[in-house]
Amino acid sequence: MKDLRLERDVQTETNKIEARKVQVYYGTNHALKDVDVDILDKTVTAFIGPSGCGKSTFLRCLNRMNDTVASARVEGMITLEGENIYDQRVDPVQLRAKIGMVFQKPNPFPKSIYDNVAYGPKIHGLTRTKAELDEVVEACLRKAALWNEVKDRLQSPGTGLSGGQQQRLCIARAIATSPEVLLMDEPCSALDPIATAQVEELIDDLRSQFSVVIVTHSMQQAARVSQRTAFFHLGYLVEYGETGTIFTNPKDPRTESYITGRIG
Amino acid sequence: MNTDLHIASAFDRDLEGVQALVLRMAGLVEAALSDAATALETRDEALAERVRQGDTAIDLLEEQVNTECVRLIAIRAPTAGDLRIVLTVMKIAASLERCGDYAKNLAKRSIVLAQMHTIEGAAGSIRRMARQVSLLLKDALDAFIGRDVELANAVRQQDRDIDQMYSALFREFLTHMMEDPRNITACMHLHFIAKNIERVGDHATTIAEQVIYLATGDLPRDPRPKSESVTIGNL
Repeated sequence: MKDLRLERDVQTETNKIEARKVQVYYGTNHALKDVDVDILDKTVTAFIGPSGCGKSTFLRCLNRMNDTVASARVEGMITLEGENIYDQRVDPVQLRAKIGMVFQKPNPFPKSIYDNVAYGPKIHGLTRTKAELDEVVEACLRKAALWNEVKDRLQSPGTGLSGGQQQRLCIARAIATSPEVLLMDEPCSALDPIATAQVEELIDDLRSQFSVVIVTHSMQQAARVSQRTAFFHLGYLVEYGETGTIFTNPKDPRTESYITGRIG
Repeated sequence: MNTDLHIASAFDRDLEGVQALVLRMAGLVEAALSDAATALETRDEALAERVRQGDTAIDLLEEQVNTECVRLIAIRAPTAGDLRIVLTVMKIAASLERCGDYAKNLAKRSIVLAQMHTIEGAAGSIRRMARQVSLLLKDALDAFIGRDVELANAVRQQDRDIDQMYSALFREFLTHMMEDPRNITACMHLHFIAKNIERVGDHATTIAEQVIYLATGDLPRDPRPKSESVTIGNL
């Protein structure tokens, strides 16, 4: 019999992203306060916390999505493999190719399935020939566990797929630029349980290649897919640790209040 | 441990429910132990018979605890302190069910012993041991109710006294048997009774350790204090 425990048993202690004293202000609103965190390579990290706790804000700092919000100001230091991502010389567009993102609602481009995945590699000039591009598209659709469902209709519009398929298409699109980190902002909240399970299975699979950071309102989902969990509350990172420990014996009473469904 | 209320109040009701069941079990077990010891000392066969029959109620309660806990896990998906409550309740129920069996066994043997001639002082010693162990069990459950780590630790320490009482009784029964082989049947029964009461003490310790896990999230790391046990070497 195959030993299932050995599958996907990725062990790493390497930090992919390091954040120090990160502050985020939206105008005068101090939304994120003094966040220090190390995101491990080849690991799924879940951010949990009540609405408005700052978890999505922090996620958006990691690929400089907050640059697009006029009133947002980010202070502190965030490094990707030792390089400050807020450095003047860093091009946010290049950065977002390295740190991909998947959103809450599936948002495929109004293009064919093929073009949705091929878009990133094309604009970043990652492939030289059509054959190479075909390969990348197929590989990404396979990684996103979508290939078998769409291989016969690659030229059909991406928007014609089911919700779960669209979300997996968005994941395929996000990984097509060979990112190092994949950020997911509630990727399953618009999906049914089966599609959710498929995306969760995919997340677990992807962690052999990327560092995955997922924001979720479903604590059970955080418990299922992540190896590290960070709990945010009122703009603070309250507790960060191994997922099993957070869900069985959290150190901070606020964490316990939140995960056990009490008024915190 | 967090004692705030859940947003879903049905969750609190479910958790309270299983804990109330386990405490009801504990009440029955404590009464059974004390009644069985009294029945032995006073040679009250009717009381012994009632203890014997009463064990069914304890077994049923354990089943009910398990059913409710399984339902709670499936429906509420408890985590952290809530999860530890459910796990602890199941383990305590299992321990109490065993203690109930020991009380039943004591009662059965006391019915047999009532037909034999008395072993001097034995019934009194057994009753004292049973009372001591009942107190230990009560402390363990009080520690559970109050999430009292200090009291739980005290229970772990005190189990040593029960072990010593058992060792002393063991030697006493051995002496009686060597003095007069006609005592052997009665002393064998009495020895099993003493051993069973000693086992109840071990279950009280298990419950105390479970309380420490419930309150802190960790089982005690230090080895449990042990008295010199009865081994072949020091007979």
